Amino acid sequence: MSVPLSQMWAVAAYVLRQRLRGRRRYPLVLMLEPLFRCNLACAGCGKIQYPPQILRKHLSVEQCLRAVEECGAPMVSIPGGEPLMYPEIGPLVRELVARKKYVYLCTNAILLGEKLAAGLFEPSKYLSFSVHMDGLRAEHDEAVCREGVFEEAVAGIREALARGFRVTTNTTLFEGTNPLRMREFFDAMMDLGVEGMMISPGYSYSKAPDQEHFLRRQRAHELFSRMLSHPKRRWKFNQSTLFLQFLMGKHDFECTPWGNPTYNMFGWQRPCYLLQEGYASSFAELMATTRWEQYGQRSGNDKCRDCMVHCGYEPTAVHHTFASWRGLRGTVVATLTGRL
Amino acid sequence: MPDETTLEGWTPEIGGGLTLEEVVERAFDYRGNVTVVRTDGAEVEGYLFNRCGDVAAPFVELFDGNGDGPLTIRYAEIRTIRFTGRDTAAGNSYAAWLRAREAAKKTSGAPPAAGA
Repeated sequence: MSVPLSQMWAVAAYVLRQRLRGRRRYPLVLMLEPLFRCNLACAGCGKIQYPPQILRKHLSVEQCLRAVEECGAPMVSIPGGEPLMYPEIGPLVRELVARKKYVYLCTNAILLGEKLAAGLFEPSKYLSFSVHMDGLRAEHDEAVCREGVFEEAVAGIREALARGFRVTTNTTLFEGTNPLRMREFFDAMMDLGVEGMMISPGYSYSKAPDQEHFLRRQRAHELFSRMLSHPKRRWKFNQSTLFLQFLMGKHDFECTPWGNPTYNMFGWQRPCYLLQEGYASSFAELMATTRWEQYGQRSGNDKCRDCMVHCGYEPTAVHHTFASWRGLRGTVVATLTGRL
Repeated sequence: MPDETTLEGWTPEIGGGLTLEEVVERAFDYRGNVTVVRTDGAEVEGYLFNRCGDVAAPFVELFDGNGDGPLTIRYAEIRTIRFTGRDTAAGNSYAAWLRAREAAKKTSGAPPAAGA
């Protein structure tokens, strides 16, 4: 794992505080979507299909900060849309860093070099650029439906690293992924010098153009087992080792849909980042009135059957780490030995 | 495939087995603008992003065509909802993009623009 100790400590302390308070359901990462506008139209994305007046809109910084305060999660992920197209992204990140929130700015990096040159951001242990990279050049350009984006992203990563920023990658995998090519991709990202990588199977958004290439559960286990077996010591993953083991089929976790709550211009999205079944006007209302028992694999909900996405299962893995000595021991051993 | 089934252009008549609740649900799932026709005949066009059917006075929420809002309209005030805007999730499939890419390569060697 490549998560800095200070961040690990902050998250661990937060989780322990929640447990001591007896909170059964608590958020870990706020998914803050300030806009839906994007400069790409990826085949697997179901986030950007809206009429023009919605794509033109965005949240104010004040709305974003209110949501952050309401939620209270120690980490804030800023996806979208493309957050670097959000006109207030610089001030928003500054405010979040000032509040000591660990920020993952999820970007395709097309605009990263330009925004860095404009001095929009300052390096901080609280800020990571989480660059969308779905594989090596051919696979990535295919996934984002535009040629040349891989090279643009690599240039953005190099620029950010040269300026002293934390950079991670986030990779969504679909049916047909070649595990050997992915192992080459891991090498390539480590050669670039990123701090760590995040990987997850994709989710079959009902509005995504590509419905044919989403991984079913058994296939996902096979793929991740082949991809991550005998991992190289140099590979660093910016996520829980238990989650990676879950992807490989070594744990039978249940989803934690409230772990990564989502806020956008429509309000607090029910029940999770992936499903869009309505909106609550406050975080408290979301937590109190969502019928959580209707979600997760064991609920029998068809929409959850094959889902193994990090936003639902990474919080489970983190909870599992602190719920028992066995979980903690498993995480420590995997972290120290690099074995999965 | 999403681009083969769209409600774009649908003008449902409530009654005869079709309930307002069903139409609201379809409108909530629709990724385009709709026109809410009120019982007094007034119309509001916009993007319907939320509905709350399990409260004492069920309502829908939408942003109008200029993006202003949210506007709240109670079910009791709605006569019907017409699917008047373009369905942004339709006609844009991955298969269509692959076909366009191959065609573009054959003709000019240039890839199509994203979302093409």
